[in-house]
Amino acid sequence: MSSPDVMPTTAAGSGRHRITFATSRTLAYLSVLELGKVWERTLRRGGVPLKYSQGFNPRPRMHFAAPLPVGCGCSADLLDLSLDEPRTSKALYDAIAGVMPQNLVVLGIAPVDIHARSLSELLQEAEYSVWLQQVGEAELAETVAAFLKKDKILMPKRGRKYRGKFYDLRPLVKSLTLDPATPLPWLGLRVRVMARPGATGRPDELLRALGLADRPRRSTRTRLILDGEGPPPEAVADGE
Amino acid sequence: MSIDTTHPTHRIGAIQGSGPVVWERIEALLHRVIKPGRYVGGEYNSVHKAWDATDLHICLAFPDLYDLGMSNFALMILYDVLNRQPDLLAHRTYLPAPDMIAAMREAGLPLYALESYQPVSTFDILAISTAYEQLYANSLELMDLAGIPIRSANRDVTTPLVIGGGHGTFNPEPIADFFDVFVIGEAEDAILELTGTFQTTRHTSRDEQLRALAQIPGLYVPRFYTPVYAVGGGISDLTVADPALPTTIEKRLMPALPATPVAQLVPNVSTVHNRAIIEIHRGCTRGCRFCQAGAVTRPIRERPVAEIVASAEAVVQQTGYEELALLSLSSADHTGIDTLIRQLIDQFEGRHVSISLPSLRIDSFSVELAEMLSEGRHSGFTFAPEAGSDAMRRRINKDISTEALLSVAEEVFARGWRTIKLYFMIGLPAETDEDMEAIIELSHQVRQIGNRIGGRKTEVHVSVSTFVPKPDTVFQWEPLVDEETVERRQRILKQGIRGRGLKLSWNAYSATKLETLLTRGDRRLGALVERAWQLGARFDAWDEWCNQDAWNQAIAELPSEELRAAFPSARALLDHQLYRRRQPDERLPWDHLQTGVEKRFLLQDYRRSLSGELLTDCREECHACGILHHYRDLQTEEWRCPVLT
Repeated sequence: MSSPDVMPTTAAGSGRHRITFATSRTLAYLSVLELGKVWERTLRRGGVPLKYSQGFNPRPRMHFAAPLPVGCGCSADLLDLSLDEPRTSKALYDAIAGVMPQNLVVLGIAPVDIHARSLSELLQEAEYSVWLQQVGEAELAETVAAFLKKDKILMPKRGRKYRGKFYDLRPLVKSLTLDPATPLPWLGLRVRVMARPGATGRPDELLRALGLADRPRRSTRTRLILDGEGPPPEAVADGE
Repeated sequence: MSIDTTHPTHRIGAIQGSGPVVWERIEALLHRVIKPGRYVGGEYNSVHKAWDATDLHICLAFPDLYDLGMSNFALMILYDVLNRQPDLLAHRTYLPAPDMIAAMREAGLPLYALESYQPVSTFDILAISTAYEQLYANSLELMDLAGIPIRSANRDVTTPLVIGGGHGTFNPEPIADFFDVFVIGEAEDAILELTGTFQTTRHTSRDEQLRALAQIPGLYVPRFYTPVYAVGGGISDLTVADPALPTTIEKRLMPALPATPVAQLVPNVSTVHNRAIIEIHRGCTRGCRFCQAGAVTRPIRERPVAEIVASAEAVVQQTGYEELALLSLSSADHTGIDTLIRQLIDQFEGRHVSISLPSLRIDSFSVELAEMLSEGRHSGFTFAPEAGSDAMRRRINKDISTEALLSVAEEVFARGWRTIKLYFMIGLPAETDEDMEAIIELSHQVRQIGNRIGGRKTEVHVSVSTFVPKPDTVFQWEPLVDEETVERRQRILKQGIRGRGLKLSWNAYSATKLETLLTRGDRRLGALVERAWQLGARFDAWDEWCNQDAWNQAIAELPSEELRAAFPSARALLDHQLYRRRQPDERLPWDHLQTGVEKRFLLQDYRRSLSGELLTDCREECHACGILHHYRDLQTEEWRCPVLT
């Protein structure tokens, strides 16, 4: 395996790994802390020697690229974890393959240089697929077009300490299109948002801005775009 | 959040077909509710057997939020016991929060089981936990949300058999009209006898089926037992419908503790007690005179240390939990507790698994145990002296002197804990306002010790609940203390327990009154429970959702002929059920359901209480409570009863 592994021998594997994973259905309704627990317990069942922080309340050294909103699954999210003892990615996969909860799928595990920048530092943008019901195609197209025409969409900030404060959602939405490939009875949106600290677009906020927050939905984060990956060609932003 | 406080307007109709609820119908509601992860299932270790490949389907229900129900260990044990049987399938359901209930009713979605999304009404048996009184109105809501008629009399073989179990069944009379069968006592074996008989009688009528079930020891089928009421409101007799049925039902008892469920369910969303559990012993020998749990779970049976240690390893491996709780009514009373804790600490060294030990005693040994487990964290230490003075503690048989308590408090603060929580009860028998002064003084003394040893950052949290005279306890004949007295005593405490580092919390009298009514009431209260539920009573344990007005109105209405005939007014009803001292020779509503602890013993001990006489721990000497007499044939070496000569 050609890897940027910094551990002394490649046979021993790496002390840090990046897992690409998917969640759906039952696991799409968790808070980020709950999803963290699901991972921690999965890794403990697999006997994986997770590294913990020091102190009275040791926390596992496990970091998601970005929290998933409650009600949102993912098809390629990223999780970095540090180990107390080096393992190969293959060994790590084998350890947890048999102890995964329903609807959590590991798509890949790769060793990461222990000095590499963290996922949250690397994350630039995220893509979501949002499927909706109880909305007409024409209504949806119109709502989206109207959204994209605006230069500014002020939304109330979340959380008690920001009461009365607003932020502009519009520049956080890099692209928003109808997805013709969505299976019936759903109508789908594809959205690409900024995902930087202090500048994160959220699909549920977008639905609120579109006036569609009350419609049944199925949301999935389909891609995380890290620094250095560059935007794919089709993602030249609409409305910019 | 919108709360449906009226009688349900969107009724769940007959269920079409018997297939599962399709996921998309559930999904369509989830964006509207708080914490939707409660309603989707998918827990690790949940059991997914093929519906059509199993002969009998049983749905285990906890009639309150998932967050509480997932922490209920009794249901976890039964889930394990039932699913071990190849021809049985056990799934789970919980009562959704008011927002989800409203959404489900609006969408016409019936209550479903989390493993399969099968409607609850399509199961053969619905087993509801009736562990405590605040679950009663919720049980009706749960049945109704499932589309099941709430009254046993209105159900037949086309609807699930509804069974209840848990500590509430030691007086299930107020909910006897709604359940077909109650399992009295420990259900691990009885439930399998029940399912076995159900399978062989499923083609008969419900009445015949129930007659067969009523023959099984420990199963109580209320429809065959009819109380006869005396002039004046009391119970004069109990008629039994069939001479073949027993006149009294003795609780079921496991000779030894059943194997620990190892593949315990692991919730994905946060829950109240989100951890692995091992029951280290069952029963309690302390003999606190107010304590129902201690009385109904006798005798004490102890799981051997080696077995606990082996189970601990297996449970952690199979669940991945980061915390393991050792469950019992009094942890430090396990004879091998010291060895056990040392072995567990060694075993999980460096693996980031913490051990927790609820229900510690007030003594140095318990402080040492807690210290071993603290891993350097010293958040809060809990004491339950229950009463402020030595005299009152002798009366309730809580054998700890103020002097000893203060010396333990000193040790707790010296070892670095910053907060001591003190639990007290008010409204105890023969209590006076002077007893409040004793609580205040003790709280201040503990606070001063904290201040002296740990400085101004130490705190004492005083929690005061009101005594509820529970069935099957030494105090079962006692009246509930009246509202005025409780409020006066709470005022005294509020004035006395304040200042830096002191916090006081207390229970609302309305909640105490409701609990007392439901724990001591007779069968006539069924009409009241149903009416209160119709008026919107549910989630009685939740400050934000409970509906005291519904209960008050139901009581005021005296909502049945039987109640109106017996009681000229709501006041008379409450006086009869709550506020009078019951006579030693009076027939109590729960007398036909027997815990093995005899009434004779309870009365003797009641007299000892009046003279302030302590009763020693019964592992040291047998006080002839009746357990050994009634269950001698079941005795194993796990029992900690002394050997009788």
